[in-house]
Amino acid sequence: MHSREDVVIGNQAIARGLVEAGLEIAAAYPGTPSSEILPGVVYFKNMEGSRIHTEWSTNELCAFEVAFGAAAYGGARAACFMKQVGLNVAFPALMRSREKSIEGGLVIVSCDDPGPQSSQTEQDTRLIAALFGIPVFDPSSPAEAADVAYHALTWSFENKVPVIIRSTHRVSHARESVPLYHPGTRKVILKEGHVAGAGRKLGIVASGMSCSLVYDVIEELGASDEVSLYKVLKVYPVDDALGKFVDSMERVLVVEETDQVIEALIGDARKVMGRRDGTVPSAGEITYDIVRDILSRVLAGEGGSARDPFVPDGGIEEALSHVAVVPRPPKLCPGCPHRASFFAMQYLWPDAIYPGDIGCYTLGISQGAVDTCLDMGAGVTLAEGFYDAFNQDGKLVPILASIGDSTFLHACMAPLYDAVKNRKRFILVIMDNSTTAMTGMQPTPQTGITVDGTATRGVAIEDIVQGLGVNFVRVVDPYDVPAMIRTIGEAFDRLKEEPLPAVVIARRECLLLTKGAVKDAGYPADIERDCIGCKSCLKTFDCPAMSFDEASKKIRIDDSLCTNCGICYYACPVQREGKALKAAKKAGTP
Amino acid sequence: MRHEIICAGIGGRGVLLASTILIEAAIKSGLKAVASDEYGMSQRGGSVVSLVKVGDFASPFIGRENGGILLAFEESEFYKALLFLKKGGLALVNTRAAELPPSIAGLLEKREITCRLVDGDGIARQTGMFQSANMALLGFFAAFGITPFTKEVLEETIRSRVPEKFLAKNLEVFGKGFDAATKMGAAGDRRTDIV
Ligand code: SF4
Ligand code: SF4
Repeated sequence: MHSREDVVIGNQAIARGLVEAGLEIAAAYPGTPSSEILPGVVYFKNMEGSRIHTEWSTNELCAFEVAFGAAAYGGARAACFMKQVGLNVAFPALMRSREKSIEGGLVIVSCDDPGPQSSQTEQDTRLIAALFGIPVFDPSSPAEAADVAYHALTWSFENKVPVIIRSTHRVSHARESVPLYHPGTRKVILKEGHVAGAGRKLGIVASGMSCSLVYDVIEELGASDEVSLYKVLKVYPVDDALGKFVDSMERVLVVEETDQVIEALIGDARKVMGRRDGTVPSAGEITYDIVRDILSRVLAGEGGSARDPFVPDGGIEEALSHVAVVPRPPKLCPGCPHRASFFAMQYLWPDAIYPGDIGCYTLGISQGAVDTCLDMGAGVTLAEGFYDAFNQDGKLVPILASIGDSTFLHACMAPLYDAVKNRKRFILVIMDNSTTAMTGMQPTPQTGITVDGTATRGVAIEDIVQGLGVNFVRVVDPYDVPAMIRTIGEAFDRLKEEPLPAVVIARRECLLLTKGAVKDAGYPADIERDCIGCKSCLKTFDCPAMSFDEASKKIRIDDSLCTNCGICYYACPVQREGKALKAAKKAGTP
Repeated sequence: MRHEIICAGIGGRGVLLASTILIEAAIKSGLKAVASDEYGMSQRGGSVVSLVKVGDFASPFIGRENGGILLAFEESEFYKALLFLKKGGLALVNTRAAELPPSIAGLLEKREITCRLVDGDGIARQTGMFQSANMALLGFFAAFGITPFTKEVLEETIRSRVPEKFLAKNLEVFGKGFDAATKMGAAGDRRTDIV
């Protein structure tokens, strides 16, 4: 019997399953939607008094290799957690590990991001697993994810083969009641096969959250007499029963996220509807409405019983078109120190080249201070390439790359050394907010704190940068906008003298770390008073607390969001601060 | 019993706490429930939608015009979430406004939606709590007595969820929300029954 139930999200459920299965080593690099798994392991190990080593790794390859080393040669039960694009970073080791038999057990949890919502690309972990013959599970709910995690680690230990669990943000961040068992006693239920419906002609094959959606939509449409739903849990290797199910149906619809994996494994193109023939959209998240739409269409096409198709009430859109709906696209938080950094960068050279990076900082795009977002670390190496392209034409143009502190440690040390060695002239702004903010505030190595709160040696980024051979290294508080502008200008003057990259570290804590309190804050923003309605602050500053009030033709500040950082004064040409910036611009004219 | 509930608001204002309390209250009452924490990017001030489904559902997602109850913690997010509210649904909106724009009022009328405007921020501020409009709205919702979300069950869930330090104040705001609803007879005169 299980001891109790807890209402948890999918990522915590995965952590629970692993802890109950006797996990000994866990390593991870944070990335949405995987970030809550490792803290979950810490939570449950404390609850159970289990001895589990937990660590935030510097990147996914480190996490994978730590877990693999512990499992392969140390005989431990180990696991590593990452997001789908993180698996790419761990790829070299993943490829080698599948052919090596391990002494212990190894589970890799890779969380996909259909949409994508917070990644640069969609990517299907199941495809990589199936392509290279690694067993992979695709759980459809948090409770199932706990069972799968327990089973995967146990099975891996018994069979000496690594196992992948693929989650998606919809499972990782779903919340439900999950039974907790004493370690080693979980009663695992793996539901695979025919789970709903009694139709004999149209079969639906689905996995993960897509399967749960199909289940609910069949209920809503009252279609359980017309279709049969087959749930796939272990996507690879495929169960024989799936082939039999497909054979027994006249037509088969496959619903899965995000690539064609089950569909490709089934093969039979004449019988199968899915992404290949366009029945299912080729990209993007599969939502409830999409499943309802697909199912209604397919049922109508298959001559299902006449039913009223769902017709959306266009009156809603009509009514909404008459009200001001605030769009709220993703933005840096009010008071974010790095909005100030981007502002300074952009103020100095509106036309510079701005190689950017992954994370909160991609959001600098709305201030015109980020031009690229390729992958982690690419900000630095792209800057090198841009430099070369212009240098061949004999031009020194301002190239201002920006990256976050966590990304710098993750992927930029080798590129920065590469830039030093190859004599590249560009400015790198490292935005140091002392945390991995976008994914939920994990401490970065320079803070000297580990995932379970114990202290470790902190490393200062400026020391690393110097060690890599950079001569121009300055640390600036980004709230001091004139100083930022001056320093970036000086950095550019230095580029004219020596063939080396110059580094400016913009250091101020993330506001989420300080719980929204601004250290030595400015003054309450009464920027509204003198506003002449030019909107230039909206263009260059874009703080979520600001909006333009059409009635008064002035800027309006939302007091409940404003942190009184006072930085927006610099962005306003009628304020004293904004006027004074011109003086700071003197240095660094290209 | 089946409920499909939409909680809509903006980041940093306790939308997720409200939905967590709803799902835990349902589970406490012996019902099956599933919720979705809609995290986007980690940021203050961005749109947040969290969904709760009570009953025999497999997924926590709500189709267009399927939701029965909409708790909107921000007026502008209320508009966006209207796409998910079904005909005859119930909407509670945290706003200082005394009435909605005519186009929206007309739409609600046409769709037979029961809508209550609640000054949740005002209620929270009375007790010196500036970020607790979520509790005021939950208290207001409790007055409707929709099983399993009664005052007692919700209060008990808040007790088990909210840290000791903030508990008394949160319960006070919750109670004030409940009283406000009772005083204005908000739960009566419902256009349609929610089942
Ligand atoms: S820049 Fe200054 S004057 Fe222009 S809209 Fe903004 S606050 Fe108003
Ligand atoms: S002071 Fe200005 S920049 Fe700072 S949070 Fe308020 S509105 Fe935004």
